[in-house]
Amino acid sequence: MSQSTTNLKQSEKVDRFAGLMFCSPWIVGFVFLFAWPFAASFYWSLCRFDLINPPEFIGLENYRRLTSELQSQKGFGLALTNTLYYSLISVSLSVVTGVLLATLLSAKVKGQAIYRTLVFLPSVIPIVAASVLWIWLLDPESGMINYLLSWIGIPSQNWLNQSRSALSPAGFTEFSQWLQGGALNLFGSKDALILMTMWGVGNFVVIYLAAISDIPGQLYEAAEIDGANVIRKFYHVTLPMLSPVIFFNLIMGLIRSVQTFASVYVLSEGTGEPGGSLMLISMQLFLSAFADFEMGYTSAMAWVLFVLLLAATTLLFRTSKHWVHYRTSS
Amino acid sequence: MNKTNILIGILFSLLVVAALLKNWNHEQDPENSSGRSEVIFWHFWGGEDRDVVDDVARRFNASQTKYFVRPVAMPGNNLQAKLFLAVAGGDPPDIVNQDDPVLADWGQRGVIQPLVDIAPAAEVTEIERWILDSARRLSTYQDKMYGLCNGLDIRALYYNKTVLEQHQLQPPRTISDLDEIANTLAPFQSTEKKQSYGYIPDSRRLWAWGYAFGGDFYDASSQRVVVDSPPIRGALQWMASYAQRYGSDNLAAFRQGDQSLPGKIFPLLPLDDQETSGRYSVIMDGQWRVRNLAAFTRNRQARGVATPEFGVCPLPIPETGSPRKNAGWVNGNFFVFPKGAKNSDGAWEFAKFWIGFTDPSQAAKTCSQGGWIPVSQTVTQDPQFQTYLDENPLFRTFVELSESPNQFPIPSVPGAAFFRRTIERAAFQAFDDPHADIDKILKDAEQQIQTHLNRNDNLRDGGRVDP
Repeated sequence: MSQSTTNLKQSEKVDRFAGLMFCSPWIVGFVFLFAWPFAASFYWSLCRFDLINPPEFIGLENYRRLTSELQSQKGFGLALTNTLYYSLISVSLSVVTGVLLATLLSAKVKGQAIYRTLVFLPSVIPIVAASVLWIWLLDPESGMINYLLSWIGIPSQNWLNQSRSALSPAGFTEFSQWLQGGALNLFGSKDALILMTMWGVGNFVVIYLAAISDIPGQLYEAAEIDGANVIRKFYHVTLPMLSPVIFFNLIMGLIRSVQTFASVYVLSEGTGEPGGSLMLISMQLFLSAFADFEMGYTSAMAWVLFVLLLAATTLLFRTSKHWVHYRTSS
Repeated sequence: MNKTNILIGILFSLLVVAALLKNWNHEQDPENSSGRSEVIFWHFWGGEDRDVVDDVARRFNASQTKYFVRPVAMPGNNLQAKLFLAVAGGDPPDIVNQDDPVLADWGQRGVIQPLVDIAPAAEVTEIERWILDSARRLSTYQDKMYGLCNGLDIRALYYNKTVLEQHQLQPPRTISDLDEIANTLAPFQSTEKKQSYGYIPDSRRLWAWGYAFGGDFYDASSQRVVVDSPPIRGALQWMASYAQRYGSDNLAAFRQGDQSLPGKIFPLLPLDDQETSGRYSVIMDGQWRVRNLAAFTRNRQARGVATPEFGVCPLPIPETGSPRKNAGWVNGNFFVFPKGAKNSDGAWEFAKFWIGFTDPSQAAKTCSQGGWIPVSQTVTQDPQFQTYLDENPLFRTFVELSESPNQFPIPSVPGAAFFRRTIERAAFQAFDDPHADIDKILKDAEQQIQTHLNRNDNLRDGGRVDP
């Protein structure tokens, strides 16, 4: 009896060792490529560090600088404002457009597969190629976007050469002046970036489509028996049943929007211009680390960004109790 | 099982033999170092320029029994991060070419060595005297040469002579002349969109106009940023006046259109055979456009199509204040010698060969091949380069300008990249908003840059790297 227990313990040990050995590539990768840089970047955020010389501890100086830039709306402050503008608008629009497109694409019509492919196609185009294409599309003189806008009476916009934003006090003033017969220079480079992001909404649409196909038909039948029309069915059945997926896309979209870099780099030729309007946090991180050699300050910025993202995600999780409806097994 | 093992063994042996054979072939390569001390040279040149670089290395190698240069083309983006990692890792290249304003940053952080650390002091002093002022400014930080300029980029005004003559206009010598050209070819009063302009300033060129108006961006003696000074303010006000006259949105849209021209054609050139003028009749650009003009002229002449005549002139200056003649913004390529490099001696020999210090005719050949501006008058005077200038008369103006004492680079201070970004953003703001307070914009920029430079000054001095 005791012999067999010892054997069992030994075989458990062997299994545990084998398990650990199989996990070791991941553990090593996690420790050296994630956990260590994560911890190191926090230490660097308390240092003056130029990548080449050893870090010099300066306490909270980098964080003080971030606070002062936040107040003056220069450097980090400007980048954070730009990122907030871009993230809030692009994520909200992505959710709304994604859900609406997925609802339309779930309708059983002739050519459904073609429409679905057309919507998904842009999201498989490499970001750099798509960005170059959008530089052409947004050309104020010969670009297709301005041509399309002219059909609905909107004059040519300067898109990538304009630091203004449509949804800003200046944008509203501009719009009201246009209604009174003035010129209209509404959209700027951030709006161009949002437009470009919307083009790649196909990724989200695929997830919504999968979720829509998973909604039980009985729910729609019950709603029909209750006399619900299409809009009511969408509002009372589709949306609540999609809410877990919307919640997932909201969080993923938020994180992805804050990380947006390649398209901004191409559109602004690596500068974050015009007028600092494309200086998103990712761009500011890149420039301060690799053009200005301020790795300590950059690490502090990255940590503030991490905390802000964590706070936003926590807030979304807290509010999710009120609007996300999970299907229960009963 | 045994068969599988044997098969794996045979495959492994074949791989080892193949690797050995490859190495043996490499040793037999006529282009190899054959026992000479190898110099690793990082550069970012591609296309036609890369052939010129390879040819310089080949000529140097042929002239040498001691050193052998191996050029390595690296993408220009993030070259700094790669170099930093290489230096920190203890295996940097021996010589690096760069054209961004990073010399002071790298010098201060001890990434590169001052020339006196790798070459005899007397030779460095001699070279300091031998090269042009503009080239020396590009290579110096805190009165010490940290690099060796190997080619200059000069900006001047290209003009369409045929169009100017049609309107009885002369190439501009003063700012008023330039305004007159702009106003004649595209009247200031009309704010409607235009197909072409006489001249419009580019907000990124405040550096050039600031210097031409007699301004300086940095006072090295007091270590103060002096952007908010009357000449720089005057230059920006004059530049922004075009945005006010023509409409900033019209100008922004027009400039954006330059990016979408077929083949990114030089916008001075007419787009089709029936036209004489391009999108501009006067435009600021660098010496590399001489090639474009020559190719355009050759192409039109070969097809028997009438060709407009082009010219180049120095930046015009204002009639008032203390403007500088033949002034402008100079940029250029320079060699740097990373700390911890194993063959700085060989790198130094190669650098001297490239700039023509050891043999001016070699540099004259290089500059003629690449369409590059020499860094010393000795090279310019070489018969081979004179022949090149006779064949390309427009290039002569750029060479003459490079010899002017009034050509200045972006200030060589740690934080120059930030300095550059902030100035260009300030100029954009002045262009973007016709009602902008230029005084305030410049004051803000000055304060931001000064704060950034002060922060950099607090960094410890360079030279602490122990590779």
